[in-house]
Amino acid sequence: MVASSAIALLLLQEASGSRAAAALEGIKHPDLSKFLVIGAILFIIGIAGVLTRRNIIVIFMSIELILNAANLNFIAFSRYLQDTGGGNALAGQVFTVFIIVVAAAEAAIGLGIVIALYRNRETIWVDEIDLMKW
Amino acid sequence: MILSGWESVFFWVFSIAAIFAGLLTVMARNAVHSALFLISSLVSVAALFILLGAEFIAGVQILVYVGGVMVLFLFVIMLVNVGAEETGKAAIFNRPTQVGAALVFSLLLVLGLLFAINRGYEGLKKRDADKLLVATRGREAQQQDLSAGATGVSRLTRDTERVGTSLYTYAALPFEIASVLLLVAIIGSVMLARTLKQEVSTDDVDPEVLNAIKSSEPEPTS
Repeated sequence: MVASSAIALLLLQEASGSRAAAALEGIKHPDLSKFLVIGAILFIIGIAGVLTRRNIIVIFMSIELILNAANLNFIAFSRYLQDTGGGNALAGQVFTVFIIVVAAAEAAIGLGIVIALYRNRETIWVDEIDLMKW
Repeated sequence: MILSGWESVFFWVFSIAAIFAGLLTVMARNAVHSALFLISSLVSVAALFILLGAEFIAGVQILVYVGGVMVLFLFVIMLVNVGAEETGKAAIFNRPTQVGAALVFSLLLVLGLLFAINRGYEGLKKRDADKLLVATRGREAQQQDLSAGATGVSRLTRDTERVGTSLYTYAALPFEIASVLLLVAIIGSVMLARTLKQEVSTDDVDPEVLNAIKSSEPEPTS
């Protein structure tokens, strides 16, 4: 509710084009740091999911969320370097392609392990997978 | 790379959508709901990629993540059919102490990251101030001849071509290694997901193991 009303307010503000509130200037002109903050929030949501959930499949999904946050940071810095003309600006996008490849390979192997585990132990709750715990 | 006009509206809409969908991914009771919320989060992040001028990466994100990896997740959820256990009052999280510790840790990480981004970005902005000003002026001049309501993002760039070129020159060796990695992943997941019956039928089991299984249970069914 709060978020949707905030979006509606932002839309009104942009559509009318009024530049009345100087404090909203930062909201109106997102730059590199805003993308980094969004990436950090997604990263931390993923970390919290990995640390707290019981379902191993949801833990895998949280790992995908973490990798995606890293991708967002790479792309944001790539755009920043394109604008300021420093270094190899496309390295960030190339890195993102490799992260997506590694994430796909990791998901395939991890889900194969989950299927083998379910066949042998009949469980996917991580607190019940304690064969090597002492 | 200051966004302006409607670009910033799109930025806020898609970033809030990505964060909410990410939160619901972690908090949903049913694993299928988690997968669907993760798909919407990934699509929102792909929209942010388009906003940043990386159309190729956005397309790869939709094709590979949403079209490939998430379908794989949904298939595994279907095969490992235990989603019903988490409905009702069954606990979806670990023990309360673990949840509390994880939340405290996440909060500390939030504060540290926000502090680091603020401090670091101030220095970066000070270093590149004149370059950023030139880039902003250039963008404004570029957008002068666009119709009202249009943004520079609506134009297709040559992003795909440039990414392809640097993928085959700057990162040619990692590209080859990635293909080997994918081959290993294919073979590994096929090996892992095989049942004992399938292994026996292709005569891929050690005879001693086979004898041990046959002596313990007359017909291996799994």
